[in-house]
Amino acid sequence: MKISFTINSRKRDLELQPNETLLNVLRKNGLTEVKSGCEEGECGACLVLLDGKPVNSCQVLAMSVRSKKITTVKGIGTLHSPHIIQKAFAQGGADQCGFCSPGMVLAAYSLLQKNPNPTREEIAEGLDGNLCRCTGYVKIVEAVHEAASKLRNEKSQAE
Amino acid sequence: MLPNSIQWYFPTKVKEAAKLIHKDGIILHGGGTKILEPQPRSSVKGLVDISALGLNYIKVTGNIVHIGSGATFADVVAWSRDKKRLTVLSDSLSHAASTPLRNRITIGGSIKDFPMWSNLYAPLLALDAKIDIIGERSGIFSLEEYATSPLIKSKHLVREIRVVEKHDIRSGVKIFHVVRFEYPIFTIAAACTMDKNIVRDARIFVTGVKKKLVRLVTAEKVFRGHSISDELINSAANQVSLTFVPDYKFGAAYKEKVAKVYFKDLLREIKESIR
Repeated sequence: MKISFTINSRKRDLELQPNETLLNVLRKNGLTEVKSGCEEGECGACLVLLDGKPVNSCQVLAMSVRSKKITTVKGIGTLHSPHIIQKAFAQGGADQCGFCSPGMVLAAYSLLQKNPNPTREEIAEGLDGNLCRCTGYVKIVEAVHEAASKLRNEKSQAE
Repeated sequence: MLPNSIQWYFPTKVKEAAKLIHKDGIILHGGGTKILEPQPRSSVKGLVDISALGLNYIKVTGNIVHIGSGATFADVVAWSRDKKRLTVLSDSLSHAASTPLRNRITIGGSIKDFPMWSNLYAPLLALDAKIDIIGERSGIFSLEEYATSPLIKSKHLVREIRVVEKHDIRSGVKIFHVVRFEYPIFTIAAACTMDKNIVRDARIFVTGVKKKLVRLVTAEKVFRGHSISDELINSAANQVSLTFVPDYKFGAAYKEKVAKVYFKDLLREIKESIR
C-alpha cells in the first residue's frame, strides 16, 4: 500500500507493508541517509526526528507516524549547503567513518533547538542514544560545543 | 516479527480502543518499542494505536498529578525538571534507555508490560501512585495492588497514573546499572512522610528482584515513629533480605550486597534532605 508522509517538509507517498519499521520504509524508498545499524534501538545510526524529537526509526512502526513530520539529516543541511553542526563535525574531525554521523548530527540538532548552551553533561545526555566506534566521542562533544557557540553568535547577530 | 497482514486501528475514543482489545490477537500500540522486540508475534492480528486518544498529557488538579498513559518517559522527565515536581521520577526515568527511546516509551506501555528492568515502578510505588484502567476490570486501583494481582494480566487500557503530591514527603531513588544507558539491574525507591524530623510513614520498594518487586515492610517499620539516623539505617539494612536472579554479569548474592549498600545510601540521602 501507499501512504503519504511529510519528510523534510515535502509530502511523499511511500510504499510500505503494515508491519514495517520506519527505517525499512525510508531506506527502500531511497532515503538512504538514514543508516541501518543494530536494528534494536541501541546504536542511533537510524535516528530521525519525529515532530522535532529524535527517535530510532528501527523502533518505530511506519504506520504509527503517518501524521508526524519526519526529518532526516538531509532535511537540516546538504553537501552543498551544510548546517553549522555538519560543518563543525567536518572541521573538528568529529566524523571518521561517518556511519554514525547522520544520527549524531540530528541528535545534536534536536538538543541545540531545546538548549542552545548545553553543558558537557547535557551534550552527553543528548547524544546518549548514539554510538560511535571511531572517535571516542571527544571530538563529537567538542564539535557540538563549537556548533552551539556559532549558532548563538549567528542568532545574536541576527537580532 | 509481526505478520504483514496486521490490521491497524486508529480510534479517537478511549472506550472504542478498550472495546477493540477484547478481540483475540488485537493489542495496544503506544510507542511500539515492546512490540518490536525480537520475539514471535504471529498471533498478533491487529494493533490499536492510542496516539489519537488524547492521553499524552501531564496535568495537575489540586495536589494530584495526572500522567496520561500516552505520555512518554521524555515528557515526564521534561515536565518534572521544568516544574521541579516529583523529581524522583525525573531522577529515575532520565536514566532509562536513551534519549531517542525515551521519546517513544510510554508510561502506559511500561506500566502494563512491567519489564524486569523497569525503573518506573519503584518510584511510583514508593509515592503510592494510583492507576486508572478501563477494560475487563475498570476503575482506579493502587499501583501496588495492580502490579501484584491478576489485574495487570487482564485485558485493559491504562488511562492514567495519579500521584498525590505531598510537601511533607522526602523521596529518592537508586538505580544499579553497569553503564548509563544499560538496563538497570535493580531500582530502589523510598518515600518518607515526615512530621518535622520524625518519619510518620515510609514506603520502600525494590524492583528487579526475583519476584519482580518487593516492598521492604520490615525496614519501613524500623523508621516509623523515629528520626532517621545512621544507626537506624544500619539496623534496617540488616533486616533487608532480597532474592535476586543471577545473570551472566552478577551472582544473586552479589546483587543483594550491592542492594544493601544502595539502600543505605538512599536512606542517608533522605536523612540529609531533612536537615
